[in-house]
Amino acid sequence: MQTTKIQNAVKALLLIGLGLFFYSRLVNGTLFFYINQRFVGFTLVAVFGLILVGLSYRYERHEPTDDHDHNHEHHEHDHRLSWGSALLIALPIVLGIFVSPQPLGASALTNREINSGLNPLNTLGIARAASEKSSTEKNIMDWWKTFRTSPTANTELIGQKVDVIGFVYHEPNFGKDHFMVARFVVSCCVADASALGLAVQWPTTASLKDDQWVEIKGTWVGGQLAQWQFPVLAAQSVTPVEVPNQPYLYP
Amino acid sequence: MLTNKPREVYPADLSLDTTAPKPIPVTNPRSRILRWVLTSGLIALVLAALFADTLTSGVGKAFLLQRFQTFVTIFLGIFIEAAPFLLAGSLVSGLIEVFLDQSLLERYLPKRALPAALAGAMLGMIFPVCECGVVPVARRLYEKGLPSSVGVAFLLAAPVVNPIVIASTYAAFGWGPMLWGRVIFSFLVATVIGLVFHLAKSQDILQPRVHIGHAHHQHEPTVKLGLSARLHQALNTAGDDFLDVARYLIMGSLLAATMQTLVPQNLLLAIGRGPIMSVLAMQVLAFVLSVCSTVDAFLALAFSGIFTTGSILTFLTFGPMVDIKSSLMFLGVFQRRVVFYLIVLPLLLTMLIGIFWNLNVGI
Repeated sequence: MQTTKIQNAVKALLLIGLGLFFYSRLVNGTLFFYINQRFVGFTLVAVFGLILVGLSYRYERHEPTDDHDHNHEHHEHDHRLSWGSALLIALPIVLGIFVSPQPLGASALTNREINSGLNPLNTLGIARAASEKSSTEKNIMDWWKTFRTSPTANTELIGQKVDVIGFVYHEPNFGKDHFMVARFVVSCCVADASALGLAVQWPTTASLKDDQWVEIKGTWVGGQLAQWQFPVLAAQSVTPVEVPNQPYLYP
Repeated sequence: MLTNKPREVYPADLSLDTTAPKPIPVTNPRSRILRWVLTSGLIALVLAALFADTLTSGVGKAFLLQRFQTFVTIFLGIFIEAAPFLLAGSLVSGLIEVFLDQSLLERYLPKRALPAALAGAMLGMIFPVCECGVVPVARRLYEKGLPSSVGVAFLLAAPVVNPIVIASTYAAFGWGPMLWGRVIFSFLVATVIGLVFHLAKSQDILQPRVHIGHAHHQHEPTVKLGLSARLHQALNTAGDDFLDVARYLIMGSLLAATMQTLVPQNLLLAIGRGPIMSVLAMQVLAFVLSVCSTVDAFLALAFSGIFTTGSILTFLTFGPMVDIKSSLMFLGVFQRRVVFYLIVLPLLLTMLIGIFWNLNVGI
């Protein structure tokens, strides 16, 4: 019985712990570092569910009927949780506590290719019509859709004003005067993240660090970088900003 | 379809193995130590893989930390995304345990091979669950005496042939070959593989810890209990199931996150161009990404501009049946060699369908 008590306590602790962990991520907004905004409701339901299920272990030993006790012990025997399993289930909580939450950044790009405008190797094939937003309201994904839908983007866009935020990524092919401003696009969760980037012309590129979030104001100029021809964003200002509440864009 | 004929001898092979060692008690210290070693070995392997790659390229410690950070973010992303669905499946499992009378299954489920497999593939319409939720439900139904073929067909079909996934696929693609192709082909593949397992006895394919007929012990006392006590028991069962399957989900998420941190994705996409290679590439991608079936249609939509139609269809049928996290979770239900077949058969069948589509219907 003693061990059953411990078993139940450990199970309840794990379930409630996971629930509280999800809840803490929900409250401090870092849940957006992991999943698409539209699934946050599911997480909220899971928080309640996990806590409810966890609490159900608490009352189990107050069930006095002989019948129940008998079948309960039989039941426990089948679902005994070893310490290793308990540790494994606690792993998300442990990692969550000891590794400070951070959205995907430049290092995730080391094994993903960044989609830069007309680069033919893109993972986001949706060529929906460019949104109706005015040019300074467009985010990186909106611009990127504009590139996709207009084959003559390179000449058409020249002179249009741009105001976007994203994180800095130093593309190895770029020289000293250019960098990428990038955002990840997430359909479900970070597992399917793909990166979109715009090429930015800025003389003191070297002083910017990878992963620094910046707001860039500027205009489009025609440009050619490496082997591709595509619009380059000539920046008038590059201002460091905080990581936005929702670091990813949702298609 | 040709590949299936020889496979049908498989259940006969299985029945030879009835002398296999019977349930090792879970409390056996040796098995516990083994599990411990395997688990920590897996974690060590994950870490080693992460470190090796960067150490050999000679980049600094900060970069290494960044990469670990990426790994953790992806791991938590997959886990947080899947946990609500696993919990939902566990709750359904708990309710089945308490409220579903075993005789109901025996009375209403068809006995003959084909109708049984078809019924299994249709069960998803009654229990709408994704590939995480389906595992505890299938296991519980097995404990209630579900025949092997019905369970296998259910396990493979339910993540697609259910109202929620059909709705999300419709939202992404509208009416068209993607929607009906996905549903019909998933249904067909699941039925065929269910048929393959028709002759297998449940106890020969299931993990020893899944107790078939377990419900018999519970049946009588359950009836005597009041509604609140039964609900309470359902919650307890749900908790046990959640924790049990969560272990496999977490190991699967760890593996998937490792692959995602190390495998260059776009290389894969660059290789996958032609009518045949694109199908293989999308299968590997579906396996590695391990995205939930309720939402993967939106992801597939993103690929649809660049990839062949057949390969997208393969992604949509194969992905929900098999991916890194679900294959790990299968290990919580089936014996290892059965899991092997449950990975390989869908792989081959959906591959055939995708390639056939590309070559004969259109790209």
